[in-house]
Amino acid sequence: MLKYIIPTMMLMPLTWLSKNSMIWINTTLHSLLISLTSLLLLNQFGDNSLNFSLTFFSDSLSTPLLILTMWLLPLMLMASQHHLSKENLARKKLFISMLILLQLFLIMTFTATELIFFYIMFEATLVPTLIIITRWGNQTERLNAGLYFLFYTLAGSLPLLVALIYIQNTMGSLNFLILQYWVQPMPNSWSNTFMWLACMMAFMVKMPLYGLHLWLPKAHVEAPIAGSMVLAAILLKLGGYGMMRITLLLNPITDFMAYPFIMLSLWGMIMTSSICLRQTDLKSLIAYSSVSHMALVIVAILIQTPWSYMGATALMIAHGLTSSMLFCLANSNYERVHSRTMILARGLQTLLPLMAAWWLLASLTNLALPPSINLIGELFVVMSTFSWSNITIILMGLNMVITALYSLYMLITTQRGKHTHHINNISPSFTRENALMSLHMLPLLLLSLNPKIILGPLY
Amino acid sequence: MLGLCGRRLLAVAATRGLPAASVRWESSSSRAVIAPSTLAGKRPSEPTLRWQEDPEPEDENLYEKNPDSHGYDKDPAVDVWNMRVVFFFGFSIVLVLGSTFVAYLPDYRMQEWARREAERLVKYREAHGLPLMESNCFDPSKIQLPEDED
Repeated sequence: MLKYIIPTMMLMPLTWLSKNSMIWINTTLHSLLISLTSLLLLNQFGDNSLNFSLTFFSDSLSTPLLILTMWLLPLMLMASQHHLSKENLARKKLFISMLILLQLFLIMTFTATELIFFYIMFEATLVPTLIIITRWGNQTERLNAGLYFLFYTLAGSLPLLVALIYIQNTMGSLNFLILQYWVQPMPNSWSNTFMWLACMMAFMVKMPLYGLHLWLPKAHVEAPIAGSMVLAAILLKLGGYGMMRITLLLNPITDFMAYPFIMLSLWGMIMTSSICLRQTDLKSLIAYSSVSHMALVIVAILIQTPWSYMGATALMIAHGLTSSMLFCLANSNYERVHSRTMILARGLQTLLPLMAAWWLLASLTNLALPPSINLIGELFVVMSTFSWSNITIILMGLNMVITALYSLYMLITTQRGKHTHHINNISPSFTRENALMSLHMLPLLLLSLNPKIILGPLY
Repeated sequence: MLGLCGRRLLAVAATRGLPAASVRWESSSSRAVIAPSTLAGKRPSEPTLRWQEDPEPEDENLYEKNPDSHGYDKDPAVDVWNMRVVFFFGFSIVLVLGSTFVAYLPDYRMQEWARREAERLVKYREAHGLPLMESNCFDPSKIQLPEDED
């Protein structure tokens, strides 16, 4: 693991000691090389995980998430270059340092063996994200957004700390590799009910579950582009990853404890998809779309079947790339029109045709068009929930229809139709923006050729 | 190509203030008249109102100073190098070499080995008349159950 952690740590002196003209070039270059080395994690065995040391391990669940994390840093740097161009040098370097720090904490979270270490890193990721949202966001609402983001997650995760310490005292170890063989069935009692809730609520808030999702539209909308990208692509998946790990300890009471959350998620995914149809703010639409997709992942993780786990992992990676790309597209609009209102910058296909092609691809993957990995994930989840209970297919089918509706609504509003006269002055797409979109889309399309690496540990 | 030349010509015409018409022309079929404007050559006055469609004054159009801008930086040299770094390291190295690496991963998660091993075991068990699979995962005689508590 040090082969990822040390280069990421060294990105920090690289930013601070580079020449003024070279900070972006140096950091982008070296973060791309780090993302190349991350592919080495794909050397997974069928019967065991890659155990690097007592502190770090990576199995087929954390590997795709790690690769996504390390791939996203150069993309975040490219996306932020324009809006930071007016800042002074120290602030630019500080911003890049926050991104690198976040990357470092995320790498350590996904590979942590010891669950307390996982918890510490899980909480630590909040700090750079909060700084990015509140310091570099664009509207005054960013302070409120930062507050919601921080306190929702903290309130959810404090019980998790208590539960982890309790497990350490009773089981003797919190090393995940040992724990998976030592785990005893959890008998049904009031204290175990609360124990289950304590373990799961942190991740439910992070995913987010429908009733606890209020922080997400605020945080995603108010964050600068790099913040939105990392929030949508990775930080939400921390919740899914944590849930998949912690449910190992919580059987068999998960069978009935999960019911209210499955209901909330099934209902929530339809609700949030419907809210998307009524959004005027482009980033808010994409944020609610994230809630809807993550609700699918929550349902998949809670029903705990092999196919649903495969679908959940595939959906997490697919949604990470798609959502990040949609935020980048929304940002390319925002940098030109300085407004997130969708109808303000419409009819863009005639003005920026190549960007319209990226909008089309992003919308198509968002609505889970075959043969993209989005479809593979959603299909596995739909199939496994159908086998869990036949009626869920109605809700899932309705969700897929509404997802298609709002994705096409977003595409048609921003791209099709007559363009407004007040955006005649927008500048053509930069090479940077087209490169950014293709760097999102190409891994997505390549993965549809070889999805086995994102199907998780039950493949 | 033509569009680019046309755009440059229009830009020149706009900045230099060339009159749209240089001679007076009257239509024979209608009463349309095209005449050189008396304001030709004079710069248009600064607009007194700021419209929403005007670009923000603090917005810097990177294409103005550097028509070949790639969007990374104002300095053209740094801009070009940044573009080259992103394309070379992002596409040529990570995407190309990375997908080659992923495509040639040996037996990811031992799937092919599992199939070969299963076929080998089936062949062995069929040859020896053993059942293909036991319903007990572990040998029942080796399991020690706790004492029944009354």
